[in-house]
Amino acid sequence: MPSKGLWVVVVVLAAAASVGCSHVAPYERGKLAHPMMTADDLEGPAAAHVLAVHEGATGGGSLSESGCGCN
Amino acid sequence: MQLTANVRPRNTFRTLLLVVAALLAALSWGSTVRASPSDDEDHPATARDDGKDDSKDEAAKTAKKAATKSLEDTATERAGTEIAGYLDSDHVAVFTPSVHAGIENVSGASINASYLVDVVSAASADIVSTASNRWQEVRQAGSLGAQYKPHDFGVGLGGSVSSEPDYLSVGFFSTIVKDFDEKNYTLTAGYGYSHDTAGRCGDNGQCTPFSVFSRPLQRGSFNVGLAWVVDRASLASVTADMVFESGDQSKVYRYIPMFSPGIAPQIPNGASAALVNNYRLPERPLEQLPLARRRFALTGRYAHRFETSTVRLEERFYDDDWGLLASSTDARWIFDLGKRFALWPHARLHVQKSVSFWERAYVSANPGANGDGWNLPLYRTGDRELGPLWTTEGGGGIKWYLGSDTDPRSWQLGFTADAMYTAYTNDIYLTSRTGYLGACTLEAEW
Repeated sequence: MPSKGLWVVVVVLAAAASVGCSHVAPYERGKLAHPMMTADDLEGPAAAHVLAVHEGATGGGSLSESGCGCN
Repeated sequence: MQLTANVRPRNTFRTLLLVVAALLAALSWGSTVRASPSDDEDHPATARDDGKDDSKDEAAKTAKKAATKSLEDTATERAGTEIAGYLDSDHVAVFTPSVHAGIENVSGASINASYLVDVVSAASADIVSTASNRWQEVRQAGSLGAQYKPHDFGVGLGGSVSSEPDYLSVGFFSTIVKDFDEKNYTLTAGYGYSHDTAGRCGDNGQCTPFSVFSRPLQRGSFNVGLAWVVDRASLASVTADMVFESGDQSKVYRYIPMFSPGIAPQIPNGASAALVNNYRLPERPLEQLPLARRRFALTGRYAHRFETSTVRLEERFYDDDWGLLASSTDARWIFDLGKRFALWPHARLHVQKSVSFWERAYVSANPGANGDGWNLPLYRTGDRELGPLWTTEGGGGIKWYLGSDTDPRSWQLGFTADAMYTAYTNDIYLTSRTGYLGACTLEAEW
């Protein structure tokens, strides 16, 4: 199971998500619709692969990624 | 990893060219099919109602044209390619061409596909220390996914395959998405499963068939995420990932040097291959990792749009039951340079603590009465990405919008370049590594 530290982070983030937000109507979202605000990564699959190989951590990416035998 | 020098990149490039050609042919065929209904618009009417005047005919024709045009515009097609290269101070070079394409309909249906090739050439310290030659390998990976989200609820399905001479991974995933409160909140959840098969290839390039030798690895992934609108200019999201792996992930090429109890503490950080070979014991067992792993990650993202720039921040906390704890922080500030360009600096910091069984110098204690025999630690690894390290990365990118004045983003040419420095704080062979990654992308949307 995750360590206590990770649970603390979960609780803090959940609390942050539940406060400080205002309802924004669709016609008020001009800035939010800017292409650079999308979740799409600005770097391609090669950069994602380099990070996957260089960092022992994983997660936060797409579910569609395959494993690989790379070192 | 494949211990072979027999690589056939020509075949790989031929395959890649065929895939690119097939994608272009499929997309151009799609455009032709979509255009065909408009051919009928200008045909003269064969049956005419005498009671209708020309203006009504014209109005009807205009309405039909508009209806046909709206049908034509229901799909957005995208295609792109990336050529990327990586080089580091540990003598590893990677060349990665890739292509991707997708179609999205206003009804909420979309389909996406991607294909990439990794050509890796390495003569790293780990390889040299085993007296092996530079090795090369080619990995091919493809994915196909579809999503249907007509209103505020959507589902997605997909699959992926990754293949190397000594490794095969096949996986699928499913996702659900639900919007709340006029899309002020979006909840996502997903499940993925992959089955990996690891084999072995020899120095001569010959691989043992999977039916003779293979190790399976099964991986189940769950994720759940919440994205929300913070204010008129800010978005945020939090995603939790849980990954459960079952199987032996130990590398069949990775031998671990062992030391006597008196020598091990004296092996310095970054000890050379010559020093290690001079002081190690004769036995050199293979790596052995635990047979199961549970991994957890929590990722937060925040994006804020200023008048002419966008800030994107990401933080990931990671924890697993092997004892590895990590934090990854990523930031980009994207500046609009008129209608035609966007430019951004990029910075990343990754810090991690080692797995619980990590040792710089493993001890083979209490040998047999005659000085022979092995008494090895249950778990042992030479994978320095499981050890303590920190990486700092800096770079940037630029996008050039080449489309028409009315839609400049319909064609995009992009360049990214990053340099990364990794410090290994408790390892043999290496104390640091400097790597460089560059990529060029071309994307089109119509």
